[in-house]
Amino acid sequence: MAAQMATTKVPEVRDLTRIERIGAHSHIRGLGLDDALEPRQVSQGMVGQLAARRAAGLILEMIKDGHIAGRAVLIAGQPGTGKTAIAMGIAQSLGQDTPFTALAGSEIFSLEMSKTEALSQAFRKAIGVRIKEETEIIEGEVVEIQIDRPATGTGAKVGKLTLKTTEMETIYDLGNKMIESLTKEKVQAGDVITIDKATGKICKLGRSFTRARDYDAMGPQTQFVQCPEGELQKRKEVVHTVSLHEIDVINSRTQGFLALFSGDTGEIKSEVREQINAKVSEWREEGKAEIIPGVLFIDEVHMLDIECFSFLNRALESDLSPVLIMATNRGITRIRGTNYQSPHGIPIDMLDRLLIIATSPYTEKETRQILKIRCEEEDVELSEEAHTVLTRIGQETSLRYAIQLISTAGLVCRKRRGTEVQVEDIKRVYSLFLDEARSSQYMKEYQDSFLFNEAQSGQMDTS
Amino acid sequence: MDSQRVMDYLMEVEVAAEDVLADKQQIVDLDARRNRNREALSALRNCASDNDKVKVCFGNMFIKFPKESTRSMIQKDQEQLEQEINDLRKGLKAKVNRLNDLQGKPELRGYNLSPLTGDELKAINSILKR
Repeated sequence: MAAQMATTKVPEVRDLTRIERIGAHSHIRGLGLDDALEPRQVSQGMVGQLAARRAAGLILEMIKDGHIAGRAVLIAGQPGTGKTAIAMGIAQSLGQDTPFTALAGSEIFSLEMSKTEALSQAFRKAIGVRIKEETEIIEGEVVEIQIDRPATGTGAKVGKLTLKTTEMETIYDLGNKMIESLTKEKVQAGDVITIDKATGKICKLGRSFTRARDYDAMGPQTQFVQCPEGELQKRKEVVHTVSLHEIDVINSRTQGFLALFSGDTGEIKSEVREQINAKVSEWREEGKAEIIPGVLFIDEVHMLDIECFSFLNRALESDLSPVLIMATNRGITRIRGTNYQSPHGIPIDMLDRLLIIATSPYTEKETRQILKIRCEEEDVELSEEAHTVLTRIGQETSLRYAIQLISTAGLVCRKRRGTEVQVEDIKRVYSLFLDEARSSQYMKEYQDSFLFNEAQSGQMDTS
Repeated sequence: MDSQRVMDYLMEVEVAAEDVLADKQQIVDLDARRNRNREALSALRNCASDNDKVKVCFGNMFIKFPKESTRSMIQKDQEQLEQEINDLRKGLKAKVNRLNDLQGKPELRGYNLSPLTGDELKAINSILKR
C-alpha cells in the first residue's frame, strides 16, 4: 500500500552540516553507551570520560524526546580531554532525522554579515520542520496505447490507454493533452508509469519484467521493474524534513533575484523570519508540520564576545530554539569585548543557564586506548614497545602531539620499508618535530636571535 | 503457562496483521469497481446511438434503462466508492500503527501529519527537489 510504504523511507533532504570539522575525531561513532545509558569503557571510538559521557547520554535522550529545547549545555575541560569528541558523539547518535549544526566560535566573525545574523542563521539551521507531501497517483503497467489521428491530419486526436496492476486492468480515454505528454515521454506498451492525478504529469519508472524479452537490443539505461501491485489509483505520502533556515533562504530570494547581484550581504530580513515563524506555527496548529528542535554546537565558545552572549541569552528564550551545546577549554579569563574576568570566558548570567559537563584528563591506560584506536583509524601498525613509548609521550606532552606522531612515524616506517612502527621511528619523529613544551623551551633559550624579539623591537624600522 | 502467553501474543499480532491485509484487499477491490464505473461512464459519454435507453447489467440480467438515470446512478455509486476508500485509508493508518506498536516497532515519523496543500508545496518545492 502506498500510504505507509512511502512514509517509511524518509528521503535525504539535508545539507545540514554533518561534515566533521576536524579529522581528528573521525573515529567517533557515538557516545558508546549501553541501553541503560551506562558508558562502556571503550566503545564507538570513545574512551574513558565516563561521567561526562553519562551526562551527555542523558542530555541526548532528552533531546531525542524533545524535552530540553531551548536549553544550553557547556562542555568544559582542559585541552585534549575529548570535549569535541563528546559533541561529535552526540551528533552521531542523534541519527539522520535530527538537525545538527556545528560551528567554531570564530566562524561568526565575518565582513559579509553581522555576528548576530550569523548566529541566527546557525540557530535556524538547527531547527527542522517535518512536513508531509501527499499525492494521488495512477500507477500501472501500460498494456496498450492506442492513438487515433484524424484522417484530415488536423483536429483533435483521441486515444485509449490500457493500464494494469497485478490485481486489475482498465482502459482510460485520452484527451489531446494527455496524448501529447505520453508521446513526449515516449511511453509504449510494457512501460511502468505513474500519472500524477492533480497535475497530469507522467513519470516513467522503467520497463516491466514480463516484457524483458520483447527486444534483444536494449540501452544500458533501461531499467526493469515489477508490475505494480494493488490498486491503480494510489495515495503516496512522503515526509520531508527541512530546516527553518532553508525556508528563510528561498523566501528571501523570491522577493527579487536582483539581490543576488547587488552585493547581497547574505542577511535575511527579520520580517521574512517573522513571516516564516508565523506560517510554521500556523502549520503546526493545523497539524501540518512538526517542529524538530535540533542541536547547535559552538566550539571554542570563549571566542564569542559579550554581544553574542547577550544575543544567545535572548535567542534561547524563543519558542523556536534548538539545544545549544558549547565547548571551551578556558579557565577564568576575560570575556571578549569587556575587561571583566569570568569563568570559561562566559558571562555569569549566561553561565547560570547552562548545564555544565566537565571532562577530566585521560589516564595512562585511556591514552593508550585512544592511541590504539587512532592507529587503526590511520591504518598504522604499531609495535608493542612503540605503543608504550608513544603513550608515555602522550602523557608527558599532550595527546594531540602523540596522535600527530602516529601518521608521521607511519611515514618514516614506510620509508624504511618496515611493516610495523618501531621505537626508532617514534624517536626519529620525536626529534624531528617539537612538541609545545620543547618549542617554548627553545624559544626561551634562543630568543635573542629571532626577529621582532623584545630586545630588538625598539630598533626595528616599521615603515 | 508461558507458551500460552506467547501464543496469545502471536495471535494478537496475527489478528492485527490480518486486519491490515483485509483492509488493503478491500481498497483494491473498491478501486477495481471504481475503475469499472469510470469505464462505464466514458462508454456512456461516447456512445453514438441516439437511442436514449441503454442496456445495463444488473447481477446476471441485462435491463434497458434510461441513459440519464444510468449515468446519475453510476455517478452516485462512484462518489460512495471514493468516500469508502477514503475512510478505509484513514482507518488503515490507525491499524498499521497498532500493528507496529504490537510488534514493538517505533512509530513512523510524521505519520500523523496532515499534508500540505498544493500551493504550500509549490512554495517550498525547490528545497525538496534536491
